[in-house]
Amino acid sequence: MKTLTFMAVLAVGGFLQPSAQAAGAERVTITGELIDTWCYTSEIMYALGTAHHKCAVWCAVGGIPVSIRTEDEQVYVILKVEEDDTSVANPRLVKIQTHEVTVNGDLYTRDGVNYLIVDQVADDHGIVHINHEDFGIQPF
Amino acid sequence: MKRLNFTFILLGFLSIPLTAQAADLWGIDGEEKARVQATVVDLLCELTGQCADNCGDGKRQLGLLQDDGTLLLPIKNNDIFAGTTADLAPFCGKRIEADGLLIKKDKITMFALQFKRELPDGKWSRANWFTRDWAKRNGMDATRWFENDPTIKAELDRAGILGLPAVTYVPQ
Repeated sequence: MKTLTFMAVLAVGGFLQPSAQAAGAERVTITGELIDTWCYTSEIMYALGTAHHKCAVWCAVGGIPVSIRTEDEQVYVILKVEEDDTSVANPRLVKIQTHEVTVNGDLYTRDGVNYLIVDQVADDHGIVHINHEDFGIQPF
Repeated sequence: MKRLNFTFILLGFLSIPLTAQAADLWGIDGEEKARVQATVVDLLCELTGQCADNCGDGKRQLGLLQDDGTLLLPIKNNDIFAGTTADLAPFCGKRIEADGLLIKKDKITMFALQFKRELPDGKWSRANWFTRDWAKRNGMDATRWFENDPTIKAELDRAGILGLPAVTYVPQ
């Protein structure tokens, strides 16, 4: 049931996916905002854009996974960026946290999680989600 | 409501007594208490076969691989603003019991780690080794580590709290 639900969500997102027990990867190009996975998915606070950038840096340095959140609200947990196979407090991800990026890579879906192996950051649009005047600084 | 949830969780991180050995609910939609037995694995290695010694020596995200093949993503430990690698890396390749919250969302399924022990008979310890290690590295109290961390200070000095170097935030 969990797998069916997950597949349905992905289908709405418009992406073709391998089976939940993925033995291989799906080639994808994804555009979205780099986010702090915990604050965004747990919904304990507003966790996008400039309003949440400081906290997103805190959490990235604290070792919480960094993900890409697409416009259709799918979340892709980053496990590797180009030749750098580190994903805990990765200095490159810290520096581009909250940026909107377009990446090419391999997508693995397993047990309710999209894992992304980025082999190319094709474009970095910088921070485009300017919302601190609406939300203040989250959480403080 | 979200602000209330965050306040509750923050207070929890700072004040839960050390004697507790069962998970607390954090007020997150989709959460349920869970105690799982699993092997600690390097997620990149598990998924792609790109492996590293010692699960990447604390530099890679780690997973919990259950006996039935289910792979859990541990995303949060019991320290404020911190993940689980410091708590799990010492158990790379070993079987542990993890106590915490299984959180199922439409977007993602994840595990918030609150306690862990090595199987079969290891002692339970709170999942707060990020701040334990941070305090050792930095020689200061880690209660508000995020305000004193040198990497964070350098990044926020460079790009500002909004991530926009040219813009200064003025509270409304």
